[in-house]
Amino acid sequence: MTAYRYADETTPPDPVQVSDVAIMRFEHIFEVDPKLMTDHLSQQEFPNWDTIRIVAARHSHLAWMHDHWTLKVLSAGELLDDITREDAGS
Amino acid sequence: MSTVLTEIDPEVAEALRAAIGDAHVIADRAARFHRARVPAPFPVHRWAEHVPGIVVLPGTTAEVAAIVVIANRFGVPVVPRSGGTGLTDGAVPLRGGILLDLKRLDEIHEIDLENRTCRVGAGVNMLKLNEVLGKHGLIYPDDPASYPCSLVGGRIGTSGWSLIGSRYGHTRDLVLSFTHVLPSGQVIQVGDGGGAKLSKSSSGYSLKQLFMGHQGTLGVATEATLKLYDKPEAELSPFWAFESYEEAYRAVGLIVRANCATFAGAVIFDPEKVAYLRRDDEAYIPQPESVRALVCAALYGNEEEVEAGGRRLMRIARDHGGTYLGDEISQGDWAARHDRYATPLHGRTRAGQVVPMGWHCEDASINYTAVPAVRKEWHEIMARLCRASEIFDDWGIFAYTNGPTGADYLVEIDVGIWEQELDDEAWQLWVNAKREFSAVAIAHGGSISACHGSCREGEVDLVPTELGGVFDVMLTIKRALDPGNIMNPGKYLLDRAYEEVE
Ligand SMILES: Cc1cc2nc3c(=O)[nH]c(=O)nc-3n(C[C@H](O)[C@H](O)[C@H](O)COP(=O)(O)OP(=O)(O)OC[C@H]3O[C@@H](n4cnc5c(N)ncnc54)[C@H](O)[C@@H]3O)c2cc1C
Repeated sequence: MTAYRYADETTPPDPVQVSDVAIMRFEHIFEVDPKLMTDHLSQQEFPNWDTIRIVAARHSHLAWMHDHWTLKVLSAGELLDDITREDAGS
Repeated sequence: MSTVLTEIDPEVAEALRAAIGDAHVIADRAARFHRARVPAPFPVHRWAEHVPGIVVLPGTTAEVAAIVVIANRFGVPVVPRSGGTGLTDGAVPLRGGILLDLKRLDEIHEIDLENRTCRVGAGVNMLKLNEVLGKHGLIYPDDPASYPCSLVGGRIGTSGWSLIGSRYGHTRDLVLSFTHVLPSGQVIQVGDGGGAKLSKSSSGYSLKQLFMGHQGTLGVATEATLKLYDKPEAELSPFWAFESYEEAYRAVGLIVRANCATFAGAVIFDPEKVAYLRRDDEAYIPQPESVRALVCAALYGNEEEVEAGGRRLMRIARDHGGTYLGDEISQGDWAARHDRYATPLHGRTRAGQVVPMGWHCEDASINYTAVPAVRKEWHEIMARLCRASEIFDDWGIFAYTNGPTGADYLVEIDVGIWEQELDDEAWQLWVNAKREFSAVAIAHGGSISACHGSCREGEVDLVPTELGGVFDVMLTIKRALDPGNIMNPGKYLLDRAYEEVE
């Protein structure tokens, strides 16, 4: 178990600008650029663990949905590789 | 009957308590206000106009029938409410009265493994039902984007549309029969012929569809027998990017017509939708500007057939300009489509500032050949609306197959509305825009709604235009079955049935 340090949790990593309207602080987790949240809505303070928890919960929700609807999810990427190989061979 | 009964006569309340017990008759403010709310934006400052006088939660068909009889005796409106997720305000009381909350009808009465059917209370939710059916390797594939929250009774009340309807059919195909309480309180069984578990009969009038999609104006479904399928062995849901809408449109037509038996649905997203996603959806934020339109397809069935169909579709998309977006986006986005409550509920002002916004959508049924023209005209309407007020935001259009031949599509424009700022003037702008969306759908030989119904201000005005003589038949049926106009009065302009006789 790692110790909970308030200062660490409330200091997010430096943002990387990923588009005109979005930034990224954690890998693959995008946030609305804070400069667009000044007039009508302000950004909440979010501990780092909570950001990560919410994204993980979303992933587990999507995985649950797949299991709920089907026994197996096929990879279209693999099918595309197959047909690309087949076409190259023919 | 046009007074709003937000207060209930103590005599009516007493009769209801005697019929179903004190515990299931609720009159407090919170319970009543809560049940006047639906997800579609509405003028919050007029909320109080739609509050019921009393809430009842019956537990059996006999109790529902008793409530309807009491409503007739006292001339009080009754409004059925299931999940309350309907997007045409069907479950919102327009005249107050008795709010019939059907959630307690949530029993699974029978699962018939041999005939592949189940009989459930109308208050059952499909997700919960499928958790039980999954243990038997079965599934009830009615799959709206409100799947976790809508209930079987509401699906009947709206004659709902399913994401995977191109493979399994929509609510009207999947509900085989149901127990129905008529506006008189009489209880009947409606289905294909007399047998509860039949999917085809030629005996007598086919009334099943009459008692579906009526938005609670012709009575209440209390129990339903549903058609079940094997839980799919495999799912495939590729998403492709295109550099133009025209290319994507051509490709989706070919994908749908590729003759794959496991094909369950395809969607095309237009450039405005892609721009919205690139702004606010984690999967699309990193997509390059060259991505202007998207297509996705879903296949379900046994593994061999899904795989074979998938290969065919991957080839077609690739050969017609589609770039596969990868497994992570494809699988994740498809899984998210079963539950659109996760839509980001914020929009932008003209200056790009973030504001809280409710989601609203206009949906129409449109033939494939008319989709591009409707799309263009709808965006023009939206552009005028956004120029008139910045409380509206165009969130783009998608079109989704209605069936396996690709003849017609559910075309939907998503609109962000800054609800707190809605006043009478802005509401009127919105209602006018809704009327224009509907007029465009009709002008192109379509229908105002493919899935939600058309009861709201604006759209409902054009229902007689769309339906012509059929609307007159609706009035005749309504008057014959509900002479006291107690079932969900005020909806679908059906009050006209009574004006004529006065
Ligand atoms: C995020 C989101 C996504 C959606 N996606 C879809 C979609 O993909 N496809 C689709 O079809 N719809 C969709 N909808 C709309 C809505 O979910 C459907 O219309 C659904 O069928 C409504 O079910 P409900 O249980 O919430 O019914 P409610 O909203 O409670 O009721 C709907 C109507 O039916 C009547 N009614 C309710 N119960 C009964 C009954 N037992 N007997 C007779 N009448 C009754 C009500 O009076 C009302 O007029 C979506 C809604 C949301 C919020």
